[in-house]
Amino acid sequence: MTRYLTQIFSALFERPFRIREFAQQLYFVGNQSLPIILFCVTFAAVVTILESSFHMKMVIQNDSLVPGFAAMLILRELGAVVTALLLTSRVGAGYASEVGTMQITEQVDALRMLGINPLQFIVVPRLLACIVAGVILIVFANLTCLFAAMLVSESYLGFPTSLFLSSMRRFVQFQDFYFAMVKGACFGAIIPMVSCYYGFKCEQGAEGVGRATTKAVVASSILIIGTDFILSYLFSFFY
Amino acid sequence: MMKLLSEVGAPLIFLSEILKTLFKKKISVKLVLEQIWSVAWNSLPTTAMAGFFVGAIMSVQFALQMKEFGALGYLGGLATSGTFREIGPLLIAFMLSGKVGAFTSAELGTMRVTEQIDAIRCLGADPLQELIVPRFLGIIISSFFLLGLGLLMSVLGGAFLASLFVGVHVEEYLRHIPRIVQPASIVLGLIKCGSFALILATICTYKGFFATGGAKGVGRAVVQTAVSTMICIVVADWFTSFVGDVLVRLVIGEGA
Repeated sequence: MTRYLTQIFSALFERPFRIREFAQQLYFVGNQSLPIILFCVTFAAVVTILESSFHMKMVIQNDSLVPGFAAMLILRELGAVVTALLLTSRVGAGYASEVGTMQITEQVDALRMLGINPLQFIVVPRLLACIVAGVILIVFANLTCLFAAMLVSESYLGFPTSLFLSSMRRFVQFQDFYFAMVKGACFGAIIPMVSCYYGFKCEQGAEGVGRATTKAVVASSILIIGTDFILSYLFSFFY
Repeated sequence: MMKLLSEVGAPLIFLSEILKTLFKKKISVKLVLEQIWSVAWNSLPTTAMAGFFVGAIMSVQFALQMKEFGALGYLGGLATSGTFREIGPLLIAFMLSGKVGAFTSAELGTMRVTEQIDAIRCLGADPLQELIVPRFLGIIISSFFLLGLGLLMSVLGGAFLASLFVGVHVEEYLRHIPRIVQPASIVLGLIKCGSFALILATICTYKGFFATGGAKGVGRAVVQTAVSTMICIVVADWFTSFVGDVLVRLVIGEGA
């Protein structure tokens, strides 16, 4: 595993940089995932608002802090994690099955024969595309999420938008946005690395591809949640 | 538009077929138990780990807030209640859909494209009865076990973190849990878990059972399963939360 990582790192600086492949992957990860992600994240935001209002009422007897609290949860955790898990199930599964199929149909060996470093050819464009797309998608997801939360808090809980915004100011600083982007970049790096790793290790046969896909999705989900915890803990020193 | 409607409708029809088979024909208990065992056993480590981390994350985030109000004592109850009502079922569903859903649809899809399902039909057995219903029941029943496990782990994770880093004693963390976690929340968590498992079981068996186009088709079925399950689960989550909130307001009244 460590060897794999170091190889990827050295492959990052090899020439030629395959810009077209990178652009294609960026389109696949970014543009094509955007609708699904926005849709899901919006619903998740609505649920967050409802739940936090329920809990606030229980503890402090009023839910005037809900907007800020929900905004904080969305920015710090929800937007990033939900986006990352969705990307895992969509992009990660796709990459693992793609690379796995390449491996068992000996395309990876063919690349090696041609003197092309398969890591540089396959993994690096995907890795960079996922990091870039991760950051961008998380920004979009967070903005959409906050907007949805604002609408729901107005329609369902009766907080006007101005109150939502001012309460947001109390709870959330702009640095939270940067932290979310850092999270996005880290999650975006995890997904293709893990998926391609399992893809390269794929065994023969159609079942092998299925198994590689499943393993990749599970491993990246766990890694994402673990990384999220570590990052959250690190960021908690900055407040 | 028609395509969308058929995409939504076909799994529902399939579900009704499954339910018909479930109530009309004899289902072998042995097969169901096997499925429950395999699902639960396969997802045990992932669920446990994910639960632990989620508990820890919830603890960190709530602790930051509670410090401001000086209500750190509530930390355990709040984190647990939130996990039970919201994060727990969602997380179990995501983990299950990544592992079990993908596995089931791949397995059934492989059976379909290698014509094993047709073989079962030729031998005069009902593939729904032999293959689908046991898997369906297995996923739904084991999801409740996994929910319990994930919840325990999340309480552990939260208490561990709170005692190590926040300075809330484990005993204090645990003391408020019964006070804040209400029966209504528990019921809601169970309803959510059941409905997510139902969605997952329906979609992954449907996609696998009707996979076409060789090995590529199986791959496609797996990816489609993952994506559509996610979407449906998030929508169902919103729906159950909304309905649950209204129900709680009706039953317990405002300010509950």
